[in-house]
Amino acid sequence: MDTDFVLFVSAAIFSIGAVGFLIRKNPLVMFMSVELMLNSVNLLLVGYSKALASLDGQIFALIIMTVAAAEVVVGLAIILTIFRTRHDLNVDHINVLKG
Amino acid sequence: MFEILEQAWAFNLDRETVFGLVEQSFVFVVGMTAILASLGVILCASPIYSALYLIGNMCCLALLFLFYNAEFLAAVQVVVYAGAVMILFLFIIALLGAKKEERDSSFEKLMGMGFVALLFCELLMALGVGFTRPMEGQATEDAIATVGSAKAIGMELFSHHLIPFELASFLLLVAAVGIISLAKFSYRPIRKRTRV
Repeated sequence: MDTDFVLFVSAAIFSIGAVGFLIRKNPLVMFMSVELMLNSVNLLLVGYSKALASLDGQIFALIIMTVAAAEVVVGLAIILTIFRTRHDLNVDHINVLKG
Repeated sequence: MFEILEQAWAFNLDRETVFGLVEQSFVFVVGMTAILASLGVILCASPIYSALYLIGNMCCLALLFLFYNAEFLAAVQVVVYAGAVMILFLFIIALLGAKKEERDSSFEKLMGMGFVALLFCELLMALGVGFTRPMEGQATEDAIATVGSAKAIGMELFSHHLIPFELASFLLLVAAVGIISLAKFSYRPIRKRTRV
């Protein structure tokens, strides 16, 4: 049916997320770009789940959502800790792990 | 909108064709809106606007999920992503201060864009290939549509995918413990800690 359209939208959003991850300097926006990429994969899984008449894709999308939620929570906590110690949110300036 | 439908009936199109056309155009518009919203995420200088565009993108994706008979996932998308995760993002942005990012055009950015454009072209090659192997799942499309996606997903989740489900809940528990230990205890510099 319209799996071509799903593929196109998913590929476009994934690429936009990848560009955002590469060109932005704010770690929060970089995290949002990662969310974009995860969401595009979810869209692809759900679309093909309908096309193949199988629920496995939706289960995968559910698990991906869980992992994404956990990842966002831990990542935001790390960003918060970095900001507390350095008072700077430019990823170009964060080049050492030592506090 | 209604005039278009009336004209279509005047041409003796049957109801199914008209509804199919309307549905496809809706899917097209929502998909394009999702792409535009994701462009807004990476092009806005202020992180607040990025977060708002991301909420719009997730709502569009939830609408697409509805079109693909995934009602449960659409609800989860709105509640978990557009609700919980994005509220968390907005809180953190408000906490850290929403400073605008200064714009600079550098060679590295151009290189990154070129690399990703190549990646996009490669992904689009999948359009030409399509399914590598025709396969049919157990659940028919009617079953997914009539039984209700939540019930069908529950049956599938607790019969075939029980261990990944439990592992996911454990992952969430670990994340909760991790964020408390990261955020609650304030960080002390290592120089002061190791002084004897």
